[in-house]
Amino acid sequence: MELGQIQAYAYFFFTAFLVVSLYAYIFHLYRAEKKGTRNYEKYGNLALNDEVSTNPIETVGGAREPLKK
Amino acid sequence: MGGNQTPLAYDYTVARLFLYATILFGIIGMTIGVFIAFQMAFPELNYLFGEYGTFSRLRPIHTNGVAFGFTVSGIFATWYYVGQRVLKVSMAESPFLMVVGKLHFAVYILTILLAVVTLFAGITTSKEYAELEWPLDLLVVVFWVLWGVSIFGLIGIRRERTLYISIWYYIATFLAVAMLFLFNNMAVPTALVSGHGDWYHSVSWYAGTNDALVQWWYGHNAVAFVFTTPIVAMIYYFLPKESGQAVYSYKLSLLSFWGLMFVYLWAGGHHLIYSTVPDWMQTMGSVFSIVLILPSWGSAINMLLTMKGEWNQLQSNPLIKFMVLGSTFYMLSTLEGPIQAIKSVNALAHFTDWIPGHVHDGTLGWVGFMIIASMYHMTPRLFKRELYSKSLMETQFWLQTIGIVLYFSSMWIAGITQGMMWRATDEFGNLSYSFIDTVVVLHPYYTVRAIGGLLYLTGIFIWAYNIYKTITDGRKLEDKELNVNRSPMSAN
Amino acid sequence: MFHWLEERPFFFAVGVFTVVSFAGLIEILPNFAEASRPTVGTKPYSTLELAGRHVYIADSCNACHSQLIRPFKSETDRYGMYSLSGEYAYDRPFLWGSKRAGPDLHRVGAYRTTDWHENHMWEPVSVVPGSIMPAYKHMFSNQADIETAYAEAVTVNKVFNVPYNTNITMRDGSTANVKLPATYDEAKADVLAEAKIIASGMKNQDVKDAVERGEIPQIVALIAYLNSLK
Repeated sequence: MELGQIQAYAYFFFTAFLVVSLYAYIFHLYRAEKKGTRNYEKYGNLALNDEVSTNPIETVGGAREPLKK
Repeated sequence: MGGNQTPLAYDYTVARLFLYATILFGIIGMTIGVFIAFQMAFPELNYLFGEYGTFSRLRPIHTNGVAFGFTVSGIFATWYYVGQRVLKVSMAESPFLMVVGKLHFAVYILTILLAVVTLFAGITTSKEYAELEWPLDLLVVVFWVLWGVSIFGLIGIRRERTLYISIWYYIATFLAVAMLFLFNNMAVPTALVSGHGDWYHSVSWYAGTNDALVQWWYGHNAVAFVFTTPIVAMIYYFLPKESGQAVYSYKLSLLSFWGLMFVYLWAGGHHLIYSTVPDWMQTMGSVFSIVLILPSWGSAINMLLTMKGEWNQLQSNPLIKFMVLGSTFYMLSTLEGPIQAIKSVNALAHFTDWIPGHVHDGTLGWVGFMIIASMYHMTPRLFKRELYSKSLMETQFWLQTIGIVLYFSSMWIAGITQGMMWRATDEFGNLSYSFIDTVVVLHPYYTVRAIGGLLYLTGIFIWAYNIYKTITDGRKLEDKELNVNRSPMSAN
Repeated sequence: MFHWLEERPFFFAVGVFTVVSFAGLIEILPNFAEASRPTVGTKPYSTLELAGRHVYIADSCNACHSQLIRPFKSETDRYGMYSLSGEYAYDRPFLWGSKRAGPDLHRVGAYRTTDWHENHMWEPVSVVPGSIMPAYKHMFSNQADIETAYAEAVTVNKVFNVPYNTNITMRDGSTANVKLPATYDEAKADVLAEAKIIASGMKNQDVKDAVERGEIPQIVALIAYLNSLK
């Protein structure tokens, strides 16, 4: 197989893989939200509640205490 | 944190330094830009500063000044502001990151000042947006690595588990620019090999067509990762914050982020259509440029929908004006770019003034407006002062908007006129115009463009003045007055 | 397991890097060997021509002039045969430009003369009325940097095997051999001999005197370079 062919196959399959992964990810996000298992839109509030005195939405596991008001 | 006496606060020392740099380089870069725009209309202006004042010597200083001076300082300033806030961690908590931040600023300023001096002296590699010679490239690597340490260092000590959308875009900017910059600037210093000549001179690792390919893979994606992703990072933070509206859809932001990451890099080939690079790459560049509309508009529409139900703010808050018009210009230029990448359109548009026209409705309308708005938003928080004048902001907004419209409309006409004249033939199939005919005809458009640029520059001076007056004379604010979304501004 | 990446900065960064570097891996890397083969009749630049190329770059002539003729009749009528990839085999860096405020120069050596360039660089409107190009009078008094040009020739010869001191077949079947002396002093003598030929076609007395004294004004090197573009 020539280099050009390898390139073409690699390109095709990797692109297909990425497209499928991306849409699977998005599909999963929407489904999880519809079923009520997760709420992703709450992360949009990260920009609004950004004073250092406000509590994080989720803290980094264990290492730190959340800040108290 | 237990036992701490004073309450923890964000530390904006480094953000303030980069804010000053943004304003300084904005003034320098755009003043030179307006000057060279007038030179194209009135060539006598080439002779004011001897060999250092010609259009050709000044043009790289303009492009480097606005891209790597104004824009990159703006990116760093917002990083040292937004980064702390959405990760909920203060730089005051880490003396190490504080030193890194200050060092980052020092190396950066040194590099840009040396860049200005060497470009005036005509020391350049000639590759667009990569003109700096290898010693300066090494300095760029140093400050870029320091920025990376700051990003990942701050992330490492964060309190908020999830990385906010803006952080994704800063990470992407850091990684992609690092990769592109390293590959494109590969060069062999000639004095090291031969023992002769200037020590700072180097020769490109790549030759001819390959060099062109690498250069435009870099050049196009410098646009992607300096003029797009970090500016998207800004709008995802500053527009929701200033308007008090959470981003319309977090999920849409995810989709457009990964889409943009994948597609953007392929589009570089559209700079080389009908050149000597392999045909399939030109086609690939063309096709992916069209696909690129989707993720670009995904972000822009997400921003406009964030304003849903709050459009009254567009009238009452000049910062919202800047940002909404900014994202509108983003939509305009991400539609215009793909149109120019269609092969038959490119045949007409390439090498004409339509290209600088396209670049400027993106940079002036989108990049410029977002940086202006971001700095306005940050200033009250950085200095605990109320913004000095709302009416000056309104004046600035309208002056600059008119400036941009004059700029791109004149360049559209100039570009298409010139493209048509180059290919026009008479009834016998001979060329109708000599090259100089196609230059002389552009004089009125060059004049209008220069005036448009001058209006925009006037706005930049108003912006600098307004921020200066805020810092020195603005009403002092209590901490609780700053605990709001909308930026405090004086009514007059 | 989803919402995984946005909480893990390391894997997030790896993901971004994979996706952005993919285009480069597929598009850029594998085509290098093929595109860099010179066409018949393409020879390396002489030291004087390289010095002229450095002048061209220092004053960013490429900001306004392209060196890429596209395959359209309107371009080949105006500028000559369209450009071929192999013609750029020794161009480091490439100088295609991205904007034509002035005409293309890829084959300017085929239809302009030393005399024309001299007048044009001194006062563009004297030969092209209406021109917006600045005059470059400083090139008539500033000296070209021959030593750096020599350093570059030696470097590309050593590092990239650019064929100096090698017989190269030209399009008409003749052979050319671009000399690259082993020492800088020999190179200087060669450059001066080449410069004298250019200067003999010029009128400016100061430039002629300078070349007689053994100096190489920038304009002489630049014209040598422009004449080599065919």
